[in-house]
Amino acid sequence: MTPVQILFILVAAVTLGAALMVVNARNLVHAALWLIVSFGGVAVFYAMLNAGFLAVAQVVIYIGAIAILMIFAIMMTRNVAGDSSPRFNSSQIIGLVLALALFAGLVWMTLSWSGATTTPMPLDSRADPISQLGSALVSPDGYVLAFELASILLLGALVGALMIAWDRK
Amino acid sequence: MNLSNASASLNAILPLVVVILWACALLLVDLFITKERKGLTALLAAIGMLASLIITLARLDLEAVVFNGMVTVDGFSNFLTVLFLGSGIVAVALSYDYLKRMGLEKGEYYVLLLFTVSGMMLMAVASDLIVVFLALELLSIPLYVLAGIATPRLDSEESSLKYFLLGSFSTGIVVYGIALVFGATGTTSLAGIVDAITAGSAGMGLLVAGAAMLLIGLGFKVALVPFHMWTPDVYQGAPSSVTAFMAIGAKAAGFAAILRIFIQAFPALSVDLTPVLWVLAALTMILGNVVAIAQRNIKRLLAYSSIANAGYILLALVPYGQSDVAADSVASALFYLLAYAFTSFTAWSVVIALEQVEGKGLELEDYAGLSRRYPILALTMTVAMLSFTGVPPTLGFLGKFYVFRTLLEGGFPGLAVIGVVTSLISAYYYLRVVVYMYMREGEPQAIRDPWLYIAATASAICLVVLGIFSQPLFAWASQAMLH
Amino acid sequence: MIPLSWYLIFAAALFSIGLFAVLARRNAIVILMGIELMLNAVNINLVAFWRYVNPELIAGQVFAVMVFAVAAAEVAVALAIFISIYRRRRSVSADEIDLMKW
Repeated sequence: MTPVQILFILVAAVTLGAALMVVNARNLVHAALWLIVSFGGVAVFYAMLNAGFLAVAQVVIYIGAIAILMIFAIMMTRNVAGDSSPRFNSSQIIGLVLALALFAGLVWMTLSWSGATTTPMPLDSRADPISQLGSALVSPDGYVLAFELASILLLGALVGALMIAWDRK
Repeated sequence: MNLSNASASLNAILPLVVVILWACALLLVDLFITKERKGLTALLAAIGMLASLIITLARLDLEAVVFNGMVTVDGFSNFLTVLFLGSGIVAVALSYDYLKRMGLEKGEYYVLLLFTVSGMMLMAVASDLIVVFLALELLSIPLYVLAGIATPRLDSEESSLKYFLLGSFSTGIVVYGIALVFGATGTTSLAGIVDAITAGSAGMGLLVAGAAMLLIGLGFKVALVPFHMWTPDVYQGAPSSVTAFMAIGAKAAGFAAILRIFIQAFPALSVDLTPVLWVLAALTMILGNVVAIAQRNIKRLLAYSSIANAGYILLALVPYGQSDVAADSVASALFYLLAYAFTSFTAWSVVIALEQVEGKGLELEDYAGLSRRYPILALTMTVAMLSFTGVPPTLGFLGKFYVFRTLLEGGFPGLAVIGVVTSLISAYYYLRVVVYMYMREGEPQAIRDPWLYIAATASAICLVVLGIFSQPLFAWASQAMLH
Repeated sequence: MIPLSWYLIFAAALFSIGLFAVLARRNAIVILMGIELMLNAVNINLVAFWRYVNPELIAGQVFAVMVFAVAAAEVAVALAIFISIYRRRRSVSADEIDLMKW
């Protein structure tokens, strides 16, 4: 086993463990903190996959914005302390069975796929993935439509969120 | 591609661009419209969609593949664009007075309506899975908000929360499916997926799993059994004008995605997928129609009816893998969607006319005696119920007729029998509404808003007239081929 | 080097954990966290496929960026809904909220 593989297993174990703690946590603030650990593990994987920009974006957006927003929400809804109601709903067994079945199915499918054993091709050393990504996002030959649509989507979400949360008295 | 190509691309999706820019402009204009005159915002929103509709109708035979293959404008997308814009305009007509009566008037309502319409129009032209994903979100996120617009009414907020949680859950499943398809084929464009499958370079197991997850996720959006459990609560809790639009627009957009993705990209998978579609369609028709019998609340009744109708639309897709039936599949599904849209709008406009504040006026008993005090409303509701049941000469009958014919062509007589039997079951609860309106005594309350009456009677007249003269309409749907 | 299957199995596990959170937890905020875990699993898949299957085509990374944008939009709307419900309800438990019966 190479050092990279050992690193992979360690990070995967921490990430999945943290994700399980999110599901299991009684205290919502703890759940949010475990979620941050999990997001951080995913960022490490992006770095290992030569997607440096996404690793940074993961830290800035998921940890810096999304997880923090969730902590705000938890604080503002003050549901943290003394929540003695049961964590799980009545269909937790069905949920567990479905999740395990899905996992088993996906693993079986992955292992039976011949492409899954490939190792990555060496990246072209002259091509810089970040500048490739940047020009793909704004070039009419690439994904400028998706980029513009994403901004429209964010505008719509912004207007909607304001409309719901703003208590106009 | 140079800039002149870029402007040609924008020209191809001009109706969509008009709606989006109009929404952004309306957001600013609305700031200067005083609270008492929000009707002006409604009117402006309708004018924007009308302009877009006129552009679409003026070039119905436009066909173009633009933005590097991410967008395909063809007969299919033009048909659906007309349907979405028409639904949007009717939704504004239904909303204006309703919002005023319920004390919910907000200018942003119409802006969000325009955003969700633009998401649906985008779905009609999307031929790349990235665009499908963005269209799905662009149409869903404003709808989550619109469902909760009746805050502080608890059931509306609850409806919004449920719709959001189930909706983004299903988006997660859809996008995982897209990721698997991307892995199997190395591309997200539908044409590229077909190329990879024919070249034999695609990982088929991965592809089937991805297609199945796409079907599950989109099944949540269009409320197929067993992914329907959110529907009754959300439809009941959301403001009726939003529910009407949700039941028609969101469902049609979900089916637009299913039809385009499966017929265009996955015909090679039909061996694996057809049995699944068969079971889903049968379950959806049976459960939707049977549970609807037990409903006393008209909004829940229509919610289960919309579930059952999703089953009938799915019928058209079951034989999609047979290349000689695929054209009829698309045509009959589109025609059914159109019939369903007209019928639903007729029914929902009557529901909106009868609804009182605090969620009153929504039980079956509130419809007793409607024929005496409001004969026009009772008549339009009767036409809608007959069309839902599938009684000739309404549009609903022809919709079912074409769907069943497609099924028989594809060689699925058993499923067609299930469809006919469940239609007969549905007659019980649809006609019960008619019985209440005509045979029971009661003191129903309804409002007399001209726009609502125009919308209700116009779509009821269309149901009958278009039902009698349906040939050109079906011919149009038949031309709406995928390219 | 690490074979692609490792990443895929990791993503499948993360997705299943998120799915379980959505199906089994009662609190809406934890359900939202589960959805975010599912989206992260999707992104791992997308980036791994980009790296291993088709590194010349940047589509996988572009798609991942779109998922980021959509996740942010969803969370913004979700928090608005949570806060608006909490204001009147003093609770954001997803199945406690059942004024409407089946």
